[in-house]
Amino acid sequence: MNRLISRREMLRSLGGGLGSVALYGMLADEKARAAAIASGPPDFTPMAKHSIVLFMPGGPSHIDMFDPKPALQLHAGERPDAVNVRTERTTGGLLPSPFRFARHGQSGLEISELLPNLAKIADDLCVVRSMHTFNPTHTPARSLFHSGNIAATRPSMGSWISYGLGSENKNLPGFVALSAGGGGGPGLRSGFLPSRHQGVGFDYSFEDPEKMIRDLRNRQLDPEAQRRQLDLIQSLNRGHNEIVGGDGFLETRIAAMETAFRMQSEANEAFDLRGEPASIRELYGTSPYANGCILARRLIERGVRTVHVYSGAGQPWDDHTRINDNLRNRCPDMDKASAALITDLKQRGLLDETAVVWGGEFGRTPVSESGDGRDHNPFGFTMFMAGGGFKGGTCYGATDEFGFRAVENRVSIHDLHATLLHVLGIDHEKLTYRYAGRDFRLTDVHGEIIRPLLG
Amino acid sequence: MRGSFFIVLAGLALFGHGAARGQAAEVKADSVAGGGGPSAEGVEFFEKHIRPVLVARCYECHSAQAKKVKGGLSLDSREAIAAGGNNGAVILPGDVENSPLIHAIRWSDPDQAMPPKGKLAAEEIAKLEEWVRMGAPDPRSGGAGALPAKAKSRDLEADRRWWAFVPLNASAPPAVARPEWARTTIDFFVLGALEKRQLQPSAKADPRSLLLRLYLDLTGLRPSREEMDAFVRDPSEAAWAQAVDRLLASPQYGERWGRYWLDVARYAEDNPTTEASNPPYPNAWRYRDWVIDAVNRDLPYDQFVSLQLAADLMPGTARGEMAATGFLGIGPVYHKDARLSKDVIENLCMDDWDERVDVVSRGVLGLTVSCARCHDHKTDPISTRDYYALAGVFASTAAGPRPVTDVDPAVETRAMAAAQRLFYLSYVANLLRGDPGSSPVEARQKVEGFVRELESIRSEIADLRESHPLLHAQLAKLDRRPQPYEDSIPDKSAAATPEAPEAAPAAATNVKSPEASVEANKTAGQAPDKPDAPSSDGAKPGPGPTGAPSAVGANTVTANTVGADAAGANAGGQRTAGGDERGRRFREADPFFHSVFDAGVWVNGSDPDLTRIDLKPGVARDLPVLPGGNVAKPGEVVPRGFPVVLSKGDPAFREGSGRRELARKIFTDAAPLAARVMVNRVWGWHFGRPLVDTTSDFGQQCDKPTHPELLDDLAARFVAHGWSLKWLHRELVLSATYQQSSRTRPEAAGVDPDNRLLWRMNPRRLDAESIRDCLLQTAGTLDPRAGGPSSNADQVENTRRTVYSRISRGRAGNFLRLFDFPEASMHSPGRETTTTPLQQLFVMNSPFMRAQAEALVRTVPETADTPEKVRVLIRRVFLREPGGRELEQALQYLTTGTLLDYAHALLSTNELIFWP
Repeated sequence: MNRLISRREMLRSLGGGLGSVALYGMLADEKARAAAIASGPPDFTPMAKHSIVLFMPGGPSHIDMFDPKPALQLHAGERPDAVNVRTERTTGGLLPSPFRFARHGQSGLEISELLPNLAKIADDLCVVRSMHTFNPTHTPARSLFHSGNIAATRPSMGSWISYGLGSENKNLPGFVALSAGGGGGPGLRSGFLPSRHQGVGFDYSFEDPEKMIRDLRNRQLDPEAQRRQLDLIQSLNRGHNEIVGGDGFLETRIAAMETAFRMQSEANEAFDLRGEPASIRELYGTSPYANGCILARRLIERGVRTVHVYSGAGQPWDDHTRINDNLRNRCPDMDKASAALITDLKQRGLLDETAVVWGGEFGRTPVSESGDGRDHNPFGFTMFMAGGGFKGGTCYGATDEFGFRAVENRVSIHDLHATLLHVLGIDHEKLTYRYAGRDFRLTDVHGEIIRPLLG
Repeated sequence: MRGSFFIVLAGLALFGHGAARGQAAEVKADSVAGGGGPSAEGVEFFEKHIRPVLVARCYECHSAQAKKVKGGLSLDSREAIAAGGNNGAVILPGDVENSPLIHAIRWSDPDQAMPPKGKLAAEEIAKLEEWVRMGAPDPRSGGAGALPAKAKSRDLEADRRWWAFVPLNASAPPAVARPEWARTTIDFFVLGALEKRQLQPSAKADPRSLLLRLYLDLTGLRPSREEMDAFVRDPSEAAWAQAVDRLLASPQYGERWGRYWLDVARYAEDNPTTEASNPPYPNAWRYRDWVIDAVNRDLPYDQFVSLQLAADLMPGTARGEMAATGFLGIGPVYHKDARLSKDVIENLCMDDWDERVDVVSRGVLGLTVSCARCHDHKTDPISTRDYYALAGVFASTAAGPRPVTDVDPAVETRAMAAAQRLFYLSYVANLLRGDPGSSPVEARQKVEGFVRELESIRSEIADLRESHPLLHAQLAKLDRRPQPYEDSIPDKSAAATPEAPEAAPAAATNVKSPEASVEANKTAGQAPDKPDAPSSDGAKPGPGPTGAPSAVGANTVTANTVGADAAGANAGGQRTAGGDERGRRFREADPFFHSVFDAGVWVNGSDPDLTRIDLKPGVARDLPVLPGGNVAKPGEVVPRGFPVVLSKGDPAFREGSGRRELARKIFTDAAPLAARVMVNRVWGWHFGRPLVDTTSDFGQQCDKPTHPELLDDLAARFVAHGWSLKWLHRELVLSATYQQSSRTRPEAAGVDPDNRLLWRMNPRRLDAESIRDCLLQTAGTLDPRAGGPSSNADQVENTRRTVYSRISRGRAGNFLRLFDFPEASMHSPGRETTTTPLQQLFVMNSPFMRAQAEALVRTVPETADTPEKVRVLIRRVFLREPGGRELEQALQYLTTGTLLDYAHALLSTNELIFWP
């Protein structure tokens, strides 16, 4: 590369979207950044290189899954003062969970019968029962979960991680989101961060990469003919370089063309689920969400930094009515694939270097809505982590006797972000980006690392 | 600082309950200590029960040892406790019940609970209560050094001397060794700076590069082969000046330079999220067209901005100029679910107003005023008072539809207010009808109340039937009557996803995700509805799924209507499919501007279950300062006004919302700053890099100008020339600096690798708009029709200029996102261009590129002479004869490849994205 390329041009030319192109000075740049943002203390080495977020849009019910509340049985239908809390909708009396809880694994973690597969790997799970957030409406709460701010403009945690750690695979994006439809809303946003850190969304309803990645295949030319066409383009480009004297971004584009050419086959390979063996299908199941979990593992294996997998289309976990039936129908696919992902990562030796986070934008109320549903509950809910430096078999924090408010060892979304960045070797207070006159952070002015969660 | 809401809730600013603060204003250290020093008993109690708790549970965040002192509060000395935190005193000695510290440790409000990680033991709490009751005896003295640093006081006169604020000085250009090089005044400044570093400017660029540069710069398009050849034959100064004049007079100039402003103005046609209370802006294109037109007629920049802030408040303003108010009228707003608490809604309103403060202050004044929302600006002379004075202007401004034809002002204001009220009432009525929660009877009573109010607005509208038939017809269209309230409680059991207002897609519809629904709905909402859209007679029919009315209709209903979307919430979760025309609140051809009018906005929390937003037309609202940005703890009310540091004389605004005075202040008191900011932007758009890199931050953290005297001189002359952008363009593009070659020179690059001194022109990659427009132009497919409703840049059949593309907040289309189009949810201070493999997949494989290659090949005459075909293609694409081995290479390629693939290759080359 032309030695006159300035740092500014270099930064401008770094790849974005699908992959940072093979860029000479880029590694040095990323190493420098990594040193600057490294998480202390000095004896701490990053535990995880990758992260996977299993996101349950709508707000899954902690009371029916991870946080047993016998008091609900005793006071069923009552409305004690402690639950007279304003949520989104009007609510009624206490609604007990019909699902049986049992202790699992050596740790004796309590998990309900809705999640038999996750129960089997209880000793790998680090359950936080004291999550809390503050906005009882989906969009802002989801924005908060993804970006640390309710305004739908800030960069998402995936973009921050991509910005902080860069990409390990020059042919794939650093941050991928998998969902039904391929969108991701606030979860993909790079905000004021350079757009190359934006999440790239793929639709897991397909198993065929060409349906997932736009313009991946050339429909007119076979690879050999396309190679000849590309050789012609590159030859014209070199001729142009001679005329104009060459410039950084022109060289970069020549390289990006080559990368794109290779990607046609490489991405095809990475995204193609059709070749997964039957045993893997058996393990994960056949739901679209299972596709997402398998793909998450395949992308992590290929060096993608962070993958978000959305459960279902829309916000399926938003059970305002008929919650018991809904959970009975919805949990099996999610349970099977989520547990399979953790098991599969473990058997491949990847769990130690991959932090898995499971949860929604909030939980649900212990009081009923419309008799058989539960309203949004931002005051207390459960998430779990696994792998990547988190301590398995952990149960941390507690909600009040009805499961409404987190009261013991409370953990905010910013704490979660700080802890997740920490296990990835990033000091959340040092990962900043200067915009509009100040240094922004994923955790804004908040966030404490929750050390008891760490192994 | 933004995002204030959770600061408070996360416990940072919690020591400062409003009630307590007033009484405890000045608590002296001595009184904390019990007057003249604590008693022996007190000391013993403190040492035994209090100090251990403070050390074990509080010091981590509230002491000198803390990595970072939280909330400005230290608890490790008597003085520090007495000083309190950012929001005032934490202990009222002797008064347990009013001491914020006690409230916090009791966890009476879990969102303001300390310590945040776990409640103290009951015993510990009791001891702390007793200690406060005793007068909080405290033997510790840390001296003044123990206190966290308080904000330094500022010296206003010194602050006013900041280089960006002081009056403009047209200065004599420096003496230079080679004055004959200079063509316009700016050249002397540039050459002077180069010579200081022993650098010489580059030679003049070759005529081809020059003309291509100029065309791309002023119009975003390429010259024709004939224009190129003519200029190569006569590249004289006169020919150059003629080309400049011709291009500045062409309508394509406004399409190019209007788009630059639209980045600043965060132009878009929807909201970051699309829910019941924040539907899209299908008429936004009227503002876009106004900007293009205003730029084309060289509307002076001061008037250009003033109209955008306050056209409606300037008597005698022509009706067409009202479109300018779209600048505020299409600003991003967040969904305000009426079921949320007053505080939450108030915060969302504050967020909306904050965005207006931001786009005006960064966009026009180059100041980051929004930094002062929670605390005084850390570096710039902007206080929270300044912030709330400015925010008050926007709290006194409401958005609403304004007719495109003249209407009596009083009637118009009433109509705009009525339209807003209709919108809101229908929204809440339908919300409750769809989701009566657990108190259906109460919900029903409320709905009936809303419906009564709706009826009274309707009768007001009916009064307009005679006097203002057009207005009446339009308003009537906005009014979608709620369904009659059904007797039975809706059968919730049928709902798959009953949360319609937020989550548009119910499982019952065939839409997969919120994103998908928004996509579909954009499509639907923006398809031309009627042939009467101005300039849209030829607009291509809307995109794809017109044949699928059921899918599209279902979603149109959700986002574009008030009535129907809440009806969608209607319990069954089943939305009425089918495109009910009445269902749309606005259609893109409707004769309305998305505009604003003077009306104070208040959040009304009197109903504990349903938060209302009250508009008071003609009434202005001053906001209180909100320390820490906390709406629950309002401080002193500040009058609407201009930042004090920029004001000459009284900063207060007195006329209505103050928008017109704001515009006036910007272009009188703050004119030097406003001129510097705009001149710097224009410089950056011409040269690829501005003189001040931080185009939207001219505060104390900004990058220093590379050529301060040049910036000042140019800004002074810009103002002297009546804020004329066309004057400014000429001054720049006629300069020798602009006409330099962009080729690099090792000896100069060694001294100044970033070309800060402008020893050459900066070569660039084209931006998204130019890439697409030039491809269309080269292939001969460019549809020249200007203006009117937007079309989809991702549609192959749409070949209009990219400036007429649909712009979405947060859901940009593939092409625009791929080529670095900025996110339109916020003001964009400048674009970053990337070069990525995904872009190249688009270039190699997309149907768009293939279609252009096919069109290009169709321009080649039928002949057996293959070399001639190649020459025709190369002339058309590169605007020159084939060079070097190009012809030979082509013939070699064509032995196996097709002419179509060859044409596709030409369109894929670097030469087509290179801006010399």
